[in-house]
Amino acid sequence: MVLKRPPEAGDILQGTLDMLILRTLVMGPAHGHTIAEAIERTSENALEVEQGSLYPALHRLEDRGWLSSEWGVSDNNRKAKFYRLTARGRKELNAAAGRWRKMTRAIGLILGEANE
Amino acid sequence: MSLRRFMHRTRKDEDLAEEIASHLAHEQDAKIARGLPTNEARRQARLKFGNPRTTREQVWRYRSLPWIETSWRDLRFAVRSLAKTPAFTIIAVLVIAVGIGVNTAVFSVVDTVLLKPLTYPDPQSLMLLMNTSPRATFPGANIPKFNIWRQQTSIFERVAADDFGGAGMNLTGGDHPQQVQGFHVTADYFALFGAPLAAGRTFTAAEDRPNGGNVVVLSYSLWQNRFGGDPSIVGKTIQLDGQAYLVVGVIGKGFVTDLPADLWIPFQFDLNSQDMAHYFTVAARLKPGITVPQANAQLRLAADQYRRTYGNRAIGPKDSFSVVQLQEFMIGDTRMPLLVLLGAVGLVLLIACANVANLLLAKAASRKRELATRAALGAGRGQIIRQLLTESLVLSLSGGLLGLILGFAAVRLLLAVNVGDLPRLGEDGSAVTLDLNILLFTLGISIFTGIFFGLAPAISASRHNLAAALNENGNRASMGLRSGKLRSALVVGEMAMALILVIGAALLIRTFMKLEAVDPGFETHNVLTMSMSVSGARFQTTAPVAQVLRAGKDRLMAIPGVVSVGATNCLAFENGFGMVFDVLGRPKGNAPFTGDAGFYSISEGYFDAFKIPLVRGRNFTEHDDSAAPLVVMINQAMAKQYWPNGDPLKDRIQIAPGAGPAFAEGPRQVIGIVGDTHDQGLNRDASPIMFIPIAQMPDLETALNSRVAPLWWLVRSNVDPHTLVTPITAALRDASGGLPVGHVRTMDELEARNTSRQRFNMLLLTVFGGAGLLMAAIGVYGVMSYSVQQRTQELGIRMALGAQASDLWRMVIGQGMTLTLIGVAIGIGGAFWLTRFLASFLFGVKAWDPLVFIATPLLLTVVALIAVWIPARRATRVDPMAALRLE
Repeated sequence: MVLKRPPEAGDILQGTLDMLILRTLVMGPAHGHTIAEAIERTSENALEVEQGSLYPALHRLEDRGWLSSEWGVSDNNRKAKFYRLTARGRKELNAAAGRWRKMTRAIGLILGEANE
Repeated sequence: MSLRRFMHRTRKDEDLAEEIASHLAHEQDAKIARGLPTNEARRQARLKFGNPRTTREQVWRYRSLPWIETSWRDLRFAVRSLAKTPAFTIIAVLVIAVGIGVNTAVFSVVDTVLLKPLTYPDPQSLMLLMNTSPRATFPGANIPKFNIWRQQTSIFERVAADDFGGAGMNLTGGDHPQQVQGFHVTADYFALFGAPLAAGRTFTAAEDRPNGGNVVVLSYSLWQNRFGGDPSIVGKTIQLDGQAYLVVGVIGKGFVTDLPADLWIPFQFDLNSQDMAHYFTVAARLKPGITVPQANAQLRLAADQYRRTYGNRAIGPKDSFSVVQLQEFMIGDTRMPLLVLLGAVGLVLLIACANVANLLLAKAASRKRELATRAALGAGRGQIIRQLLTESLVLSLSGGLLGLILGFAAVRLLLAVNVGDLPRLGEDGSAVTLDLNILLFTLGISIFTGIFFGLAPAISASRHNLAAALNENGNRASMGLRSGKLRSALVVGEMAMALILVIGAALLIRTFMKLEAVDPGFETHNVLTMSMSVSGARFQTTAPVAQVLRAGKDRLMAIPGVVSVGATNCLAFENGFGMVFDVLGRPKGNAPFTGDAGFYSISEGYFDAFKIPLVRGRNFTEHDDSAAPLVVMINQAMAKQYWPNGDPLKDRIQIAPGAGPAFAEGPRQVIGIVGDTHDQGLNRDASPIMFIPIAQMPDLETALNSRVAPLWWLVRSNVDPHTLVTPITAALRDASGGLPVGHVRTMDELEARNTSRQRFNMLLLTVFGGAGLLMAAIGVYGVMSYSVQQRTQELGIRMALGAQASDLWRMVIGQGMTLTLIGVAIGIGGAFWLTRFLASFLFGVKAWDPLVFIATPLLLTVVALIAVWIPARRATRVDPMAALRLE
């Protein structure tokens, strides 16, 4: 199904969270809490993941076939659901990262012009 | 979009809950590791996560299809709400079921006759070859025409000839001889129609040439019924007309012909023949890409070629050839009547819808507080309309389901009683089956019906002033002015549509009565008919046929109860033959012939058996045989048309001059004139007919006749002819040396079949008209009694102020009858416009027959008056004190 509508602001932010999740999972399978922590830590705490919206995103990504999941046991010896990046998810990450770089470059250019 | 999203929603939700619990536990662990006490760690973890329920709901919503959820809720609510008012629900469903049922019944006939394609492969390109003249287009071919058509390879992929087994054949060799329908066909016939094979093969080209041998292909049913499905039947011989025929194949089960065939034998045409006799039809398949106009253009050239070869006598200067789609030809003139019936049932459905809409409006009034409460609790107007529409759709779909069952039972019953002479229905309507078309049609009209009768009440119910409705005392809840008007408009519409239906029905009833009153010119009562196939080698000359006639008559006359005996090759109400003729010594001007007339070959007892009166001259006698001078008799119509001033008895006529060797004979003296008969249908004027004695037919014509027409025996008795079937059959078999008879029917039955289409139409339209009238009467009754009930208080006040009971009575009657009369006026206008489509059904009655247009509105008015009378009486019984105290 092809949706032909321009991405709205919410979609861009949502897409960003998706991309961050996918990027985090490149390092290997992880459960929700690890993913949230990793995003926060890696971004030097600049990005705080709203934990409530993390899980809807994980489920959406899994339904799209970009992630797979299975229950396992965490380092803390607790039951946890581990997410793993699929081949399609890896492809999507590359595409999304490309889109992101293009956009930030474009924004950078505009801001740079405005500064001069 | 992935469907995965919508599946296993509950299980996934539990999974998510567990996942969130796990997350919180990990967060808590992390906080404890940083030195927080357990309680504080748990609190902060929860604080950071937010409300887990919100997350779960977010995911739950993401996994749902909102409109399905709400529809499901509406549906459950609708069912509950309908179950609370069972009386209303049952009546509404029944009314809809009747409306949809009649529509399904009629549509299933329309579907079978008009819409379903022929069962042959690629039926669109199957054509029937036609002769066209400025007056008419008709099928029929002789060998020279077939030969020319066969050569049109630029337009036709394949051309084949077949007849309808008119003469029948005698299958002997078993314990009981049997008359069978043997179709003569050319070798290409089976390939043309794509006939499947159950065993063996079809005819080879060599077997279809003159002297190609006696070979036969059996139908599946004959193979099963007569030969017990013998698996080794191919290669065996069977006895047909006393000769051995080699069975070369059996056709598969699914192959149907419009007239059922028992077996096929090859025509074995001599393609060099100059025989001008037309005794078969020709079908062809167009080449891919060839259109009908292209084919017709090419056939005009073929007609010119035919004219150059055989002259203006063979084909008139303005005549030509053409093709028509086989399916079109089979549907024939039944399209219009069926569409009219479909229109009529459409009206019945509309009346049913109006009735249910009225019921819904009344129901909505009593639910006003319920709806207002829902609105007050936040239901939008759209939601309320959707809820009410869901209810009406539940009603209409249940009605539709019941209607489908009803309709199917009705159509089976109807077809069992009377097929109405419609083509393509199979034996007793067996071709009418439940198929996707019918299911879709019923589903479609169910949804249409639900929206149609549900929308107006739903919109009107949702429009109420909320506060007013909530404040209103439940007892007095009355319809708003607007929905009162709507109900009146519905009643007016019902009346108008019912009137149109009843006028249509009345016109058909009058037609039928006129037809019954037509004097057919002969007496059908107590006449038994049966066919005898005088076919095969034994009957290639006239003498043996005349011998069977004489012997048969002698035997039959010896049976007690038999009064007179006749025979003919051309039975009344069946299709007839026509011949051209010249009156000797009369100048013809430019015309090739003096004229043309129906042609009956008969035995000398024919006129007695039918009690057709002799007007002038003398009747045929036993002595008018091949040794005697040639004679002919004519009917009054022929005398009037061709001897307007002269005396036919002084003239001699030459029948079929120049029509080829089969018809070569001398001129015949006109010896008698008989009364006219309407034997080609009671609704047709008597046409000119000439009669010749069978005993005086040329031998070659007898030979031809033996292939195309059976001998029909007519036995008049002074007892119920059904009681004589056994002795008559036995006597004829004895007299003919073992020939069986078939098609044993009384002439009364044949006459009834002749008027069956009119009866079919009349029956149906009368039922529809009656149903419409009844529903309209219920409608006006419902509106008026509801109005009286709602106005009890007003009536009480009027009475208290001094109004007499008769005044109130007049007021209610006046209001009801005003609606009725407006409806009647509209209905008369509509009927004036619509009955033109009935014109082709009518006989002896004008489409605007004054009697019908006066009597029918009167009838409707009287029925409405009765329906209004009851609520009017109730109005007069209102007790003013009780009414005022109702508050």
